[in-house]
This record gives sequence, structure tokens and C-alpha cells, in this order.
Amino acid sequence: MLKEKIDGLLDRVQKPARYMGGEMNCVLKDPDSVAIRYVFAFPDVYEVGMSHLGSRILYDIINKREDALCERVFMPWVDMADLMRSEDVPLFSLETRTPVGDFDMLGITLQYEMSYTNILEILNLARIPMHSEDRTWDHPIVIAGGPCAFNPEPLHHFIDAFSIGDGEISTLETIDVVKACKAEGVSRQECLRRLSKLRGVYVPSLYEATYHEDGTLASFEPTEEGVPRTVVKNMVADLDKAEYPESIIVPFMEIVHDRINIEVLRGCTRGCRFCQAGMIYRPVRERSVEHLLDLAQKLVDETGYEEITLSSLSTGDYTCLPQLAHELMEKFAEKRIALSLPSLRLDSQLKETLEETQKVRKTSLTYAMEAGTQRLRDVINKGITEEDLISSVTDAFAGGWSSVKLYFMFGLPTETTEDLDGIADLAGKVVRQYFATPKNLRAKGLRVNCSASCFVPKPFTPFQWEPQDTIEQFTEKQKHLCQIMRIKGVEFNWHEPHVSFLEACFARGDRKMADVLEAAWRLGCRFDGWSDQFSFEKWMQAFEQCGVDPAFYANRRREKDELLPWAFIDAGVTQAYLWRERERAMQAQVTPDCRKGCQGCGLKRFEGACEGR
Amino acid sequence: MILQFQKGDIVRHLGLLDLQRTMQRALRRSGLPIAYSKGFSPHIVMSFASALSSGIPGDAELLDVGLTDETTEEACLTAMNRVLPPSLAVSRVRLVDDRYPKLGAALQQAQYRITLRGGGTKAVAGAIDGFLAQQEIMALRKTKKSETMVNIRLMIHELTAAYDETQDCAVLTARVSFVEAATLKPELLMESLCAFAGAQPERCEIRRTALLGLVDGKPVPLIDL
Ligand code: SF4
Repeated sequence: MLKEKIDGLLDRVQKPARYMGGEMNCVLKDPDSVAIRYVFAFPDVYEVGMSHLGSRILYDIINKREDALCERVFMPWVDMADLMRSEDVPLFSLETRTPVGDFDMLGITLQYEMSYTNILEILNLARIPMHSEDRTWDHPIVIAGGPCAFNPEPLHHFIDAFSIGDGEISTLETIDVVKACKAEGVSRQECLRRLSKLRGVYVPSLYEATYHEDGTLASFEPTEEGVPRTVVKNMVADLDKAEYPESIIVPFMEIVHDRINIEVLRGCTRGCRFCQAGMIYRPVRERSVEHLLDLAQKLVDETGYEEITLSSLSTGDYTCLPQLAHELMEKFAEKRIALSLPSLRLDSQLKETLEETQKVRKTSLTYAMEAGTQRLRDVINKGITEEDLISSVTDAFAGGWSSVKLYFMFGLPTETTEDLDGIADLAGKVVRQYFATPKNLRAKGLRVNCSASCFVPKPFTPFQWEPQDTIEQFTEKQKHLCQIMRIKGVEFNWHEPHVSFLEACFARGDRKMADVLEAAWRLGCRFDGWSDQFSFEKWMQAFEQCGVDPAFYANRRREKDELLPWAFIDAGVTQAYLWRERERAMQAQVTPDCRKGCQGCGLKRFEGACEGR
Repeated sequence: MILQFQKGDIVRHLGLLDLQRTMQRALRRSGLPIAYSKGFSPHIVMSFASALSSGIPGDAELLDVGLTDETTEEACLTAMNRVLPPSLAVSRVRLVDDRYPKLGAALQQAQYRITLRGGGTKAVAGAIDGFLAQQEIMALRKTKKSETMVNIRLMIHELTAAYDETQDCAVLTARVSFVEAATLKPELLMESLCAFAGAQPERCEIRRTALLGLVDGKPVPLIDL
């Protein structure tokens, strides 16, 4: 009955393929044959969610278990969500069109703060009570993980348990616990208690936060004996031993990253001071060339994709990249498979490899410069110089590339007008370099795409204590940038500060932000990451309703001794290290890549981390 | 080789581009000796007999794919069904050489099964004889470029109905012209028929059941020319 009803809805929505299921390689299991039915939710539309590597890894890991199954659900686009409400259809999984509320566990991935209202929308469409304390065994255990779980507090009221750090092992452990609890018939509360004792698992209902009069955190403690005071992140020490999908779903519709994605390494040791991923995914762990070649072969055979991406935070740092790229190209030349290398670091020795890639496709080159002057790049510890950029684009223009992307941030700590002018200066130099390239070598149609985003201070970075620029400051700077970026051959894009402002509120938010989130959702906020859906007015209304001042989270400088809402999490890097890095930042002192010498960030306390460094 | 495959109910919403991409990837996985085009970005040499619009399922859709090496029909059938989801299962393969007519050019007619339920179903099914007895049936034919009134009577080659009283359900079989200058869309046919009957069924499901060429004026499945 439900299945037919859903079928009827598909005739009436914009992109029915989002809800169709039945793609090649999707896993269908008999629900009666397993003990735990897990549904994995990505709080954005299908084509975004299906592009996410981590979700694919977990889908595969769970389905490899005999006693469990994993199905998928994505956030229905507004047309579908509205139809589901008016036609009384609950949120359903793609594989078997089973109501999400009927599963034993619901896993949600937290990739960006602006997807938080979608999480509430998903719970509501699934008819799962919004608040953890109102759920019973008739509802799934709601678990969330991903980078944003490193500051889980703004979601504390809605999520039963957070899984912090690498998910490969933790996901299986949580399934074991829920399975045992269901078999033994213990209470849901007892199940949550047991989950809280797993490494890397945080059960917010078992902790209490109190606040000072000025709104800052006064204390944060477990409410029960035996619940750990510190939650230590999970870390997979050896990636070659970790599960990796050898078969992935091939969607019917085009998705954002429609290709094979192979994670060559995890973590990054460059120590950019604004980058949360670089801090929370430490240490660096690499997969072996043999393992990667084997995975690539299997995935090509299983999917028929025509493109492979080597992904990670910094693929250019992979030790054997030239060898790997070379062997991959050799292996798949006949099958006409293109190899693309994203997040290219221009100071990596990739020229040789690039020349080979170019045989297949000439994509645009991307340079994450992040700041306009060397001084500010030193502050943020971005180890790229103007010479690196110019020498790389010189080669690229001579090699027939004509499209370059430059990424910058504005609103960085210590930034002045001079730093903003530096952005225009760099863009101008790239343009001049193109015209200095002999005409017979360079390709036609120069395109320098320059984009500037607003800096958002994140937890577990050396800038976690820093205020974000106010919206007014951002707007001023943006006006200035627009003026100076009128350069022939350069296209300039910037990000609106309003979204970044909200991101800053959630990134460093505490439990009070949960009320704001719920109020915003009740006012109709969802898909805040989509500019056509985002309503800043509604958000401001939500803050007002809750009596919460957003500037307290976004624009306030924290003192060194302030108890931070995420301080109970041990993310590997210590608070002492982060503060040390902050001090160096203020003096524009760079810290070298720790592969050239350990900087004592704290990871060595973890078993199997940074061996031999 | 010519593949005859179904576009099943659950994938009926796939548009031409999605279907193309899916088939290309399946062909790449199949391990069959697929021919690629020459040039800067090589692609698989393949063409559908006709694009089936999004929302309509089909029982016997056809795809022509170039091969570079000898193989057998059984091998192709097995290989393709290993790499396609059941909703796009291949039911027949025919190996043909270059002299075989191009599917798109040989296509003359298409056959549809149209299932009507509820509402004015009975009236619509009962009106068919009268509808066909007309000399001329004028209808507004819309193409991307223009809208013209055309006589669609000449494009209807067969139209019959089996009505089931207990279910209030009628299954219509319609065979209509499918050539560039005179293609009759089943939606337009139903629109005219319902207007003639002065009745509207509650539900109307359209399904393409065959793609046909003409041999000595008689309809023959395109894969059997
Ligand atoms: S412990 Fe040392 S080597 Fe390991 S990630 Fe931290 S700084 Fe680098």
C-alpha cells in the first residue's frame, strides 16, 4: 500500500530518480534474516549524499555483516517533502521503501552545519520524536557522526549518541551493543548507557552543562557514575586493514561526484591553522600502492565508471603518488579511464604525473592560496608562496592549460586591507604570466576564477578562540574586494557572509544553540545550504524567540581559560598544542609539516599513530 | 548487436540521458568487445531505436551497440544481465552486421498498452468503434517548434479494447505511426479519444510494448527485420 502510494508521488516530483532506488550494486537483504536494520541518512539531496565517500564506506561495512542490513535515505527536496506531508507518506528508505522509523538504528552524517535543519526535517518526516528523551524502543536509536560531531552540543537534544572520529570500527561496535540490548530486552536507557562506554561515543543525555551568568560554560559533567568524563576519538591506525568498498552503487542520475573515489590517505600534517579537517583527522595514514591498485581494478570492473579520483585532504602528499598515478594510467589506458587528482598541492612534485594526466583530459588547475600576502599566509601556516604559484602556472600555461582557479578566504585573524589588496595582486600576476607565455604554446581563452569565502573559526583549530568578523565587516571587505578585483581575465566570486555567520554560531555553539535550531526549523528553515531556500530573517527571528545572541558565538573572543563546549572531547590534538599554535600565529611564525619533525600535537598518545616519526 | 531490454516500472522515470549513462556504464562493465568512437574523448558507439519519454515504461526497447570482435548472442545476453539491474533486464540479443538497417531509420510504428481504470473507463472503451469510424480526427500536435492541427486518424493503425466489468478496467492496444513527420503520441491519442467519448478515466497507464518496422506493408518487430 505504502509502496504504491510512493510510486504515485514519483509522478509528481521534479527529479523522481532521487527516490527511485534499485540502482546497480545496491544491496537488498531480507529484513527477517538480520538482527539489526540500519538506515543511513545523509541530510541533503540524493545527488549530494551519494557523492560522499564516508557514507559509502559505512554502507558497505554494515552490509558485509550477516546479522545486519543497511539501507539509505536522503533528504527529500522541498517538493517531495511537502507532498509526503500532504499525502501522509512517512520518510522511507530507498532500497525497500520501508519507513525510516521502523529501523533499529538511524545513522546520520554531519558534514556541514547548514544541514542541521534538514536533520530535524528528516526526524519529523520519519515521525520519530524530535527529542531523544521522548523516544522508546519503537523508534530507532539515532546516531550521528562526521566532522561536525567534534562539537556535538548544538544537536545534543536530537541525537541519542554521537560517534566521534573514524567510523569504521565504531559503527560496528554500536551495532553490537544495540543488538545485544535488544536480545537481552534491557531498557533503551540502559542501551544508551552501554553505548556511552564505547570509545568515541558520546551520549549527550548522560551529561549536564551549567552556565555562568555571562553565558559561558561553567561546568560540564557526566550525570552518572561510570560514564566517561572525556570522550576519546576513534582512530583507525592501519588503513590497509580497514574495510573499503570493492563495489559501489552506480546511480542512474548524475550525481555531484560521478566517478570512482579512492581514498589514498587520511589526515594531513601540514598544520594549516584554519583547517579543522587537518587537525581532527590526524595522524596521516596511507594506503599501500598494491592495495590501491587492487581496489581500483575491482571498482572499475564493478561500476563501469570512466573516471577515477584519488581523494584525501592532500593527495599531493601521498608518498608514492607518481608511482601510483603512473601505474593506474598504464593499467586503465585501454579502458579509457581518466584519472583526476583533486586538492592538488602546487608544491608537490607532480609535474611528470600531470603531463600524463593531460593526455586524457585538461581540467582546470586549482590553487588554494587562502590569503593574499605572505605575512597572512604565515599567520595561517599555509605553506605556499607567490613563487610557488607563479612557477606552477608558468609551467601550466606553457603546457596548454588556460583555466586556473584561485581560492581565498577573507576575515582571517590579523587581516588588514593590505592582505585584501594582495588577493588582487596575485590574480593580476597570474593574468600577466599568461600573456607572457609565447602565443604558440598557450591555449586560448584564459580563465582565472578567483573566489573568496568568509573565514569561519572552527573548534579544534588554533583559531577556535578567535572572533569571526561581523557581517558588517565582511560586507565592507567584500565591497573593497569587488572594486579591486575588476581585472581583465579574472572572474571574481565571493560567498555571502550571512551563511558563514550562522556556520560560526553552530561550529562553536553550545546546548543553547539546539533551541535556536529547533525554533528555526519550526519557522520553516530547511536546506539552509541552498541559497534559494535560505532565509536569514527566519534565523534572526529564531535567535530572538530563544533570547540568544548570535554574536556571543560568532564574534566573541574566548579567553584561554574559558571552558569550551567541546573540551570534553579528546580529538587527538591537545588544547595545549592548539594554544601554542595560536601564539605562533599571532607572531606570524610558521610551523613546519610534522613529517619533517614531530611538533608534539598530542597524537603520539594514540596507539599506532605516528610510528617512526 | 541489438539489445532488446525492458524499461521496468520502477525506472520508468529515467530520461534519455540517465538511460544512456546507465547503459554505457553497464556496457563497460560487461567485458564485451565494445566499439569506441575515435577522437579526443572516445565514447561507446551506440544508439537507441527511440527515446522513451520519462514516466513511460517499455517492454521491448532497443539499443544498437557496435562490437569489435566475434561473440555469441548467449554470451552477450548473460554478460548484460550480469551488469544491469533487473529493472533494465535484457530479454533478447541479436548479432547483426553493418548492413542491418539503422534502427532509428527503420522505425515505422510503435505499439502501446494503455490501461484505464475507474471513472469514465467504460465509456471511453465503448467509444472506440465510433471514434475509428470517423473519416478525420483533427488534433493539435505539438512539437518543439510548432503547433499544428493534423488528422491523426491516418496515424492510427490499430486500436482495440478489452473491458473488464468487475475491475472497471480496460486494456487498450494501440498501434500508431512513429516516423519523423507523423508520430502520434499515445497521450494525444488518449486525449482525442476521451474528448470524443466525453468521459475521463480515473487512471491511465501507458506502456510501450513494441517498436515496429514495415516489411511488405506489414508490421514486424525492428529486431526481426
Ligand atoms: S604527534 Fe607529531 S608526528 Fe604525529 S601528527 Fe602530531 S605533530 Fe605530527
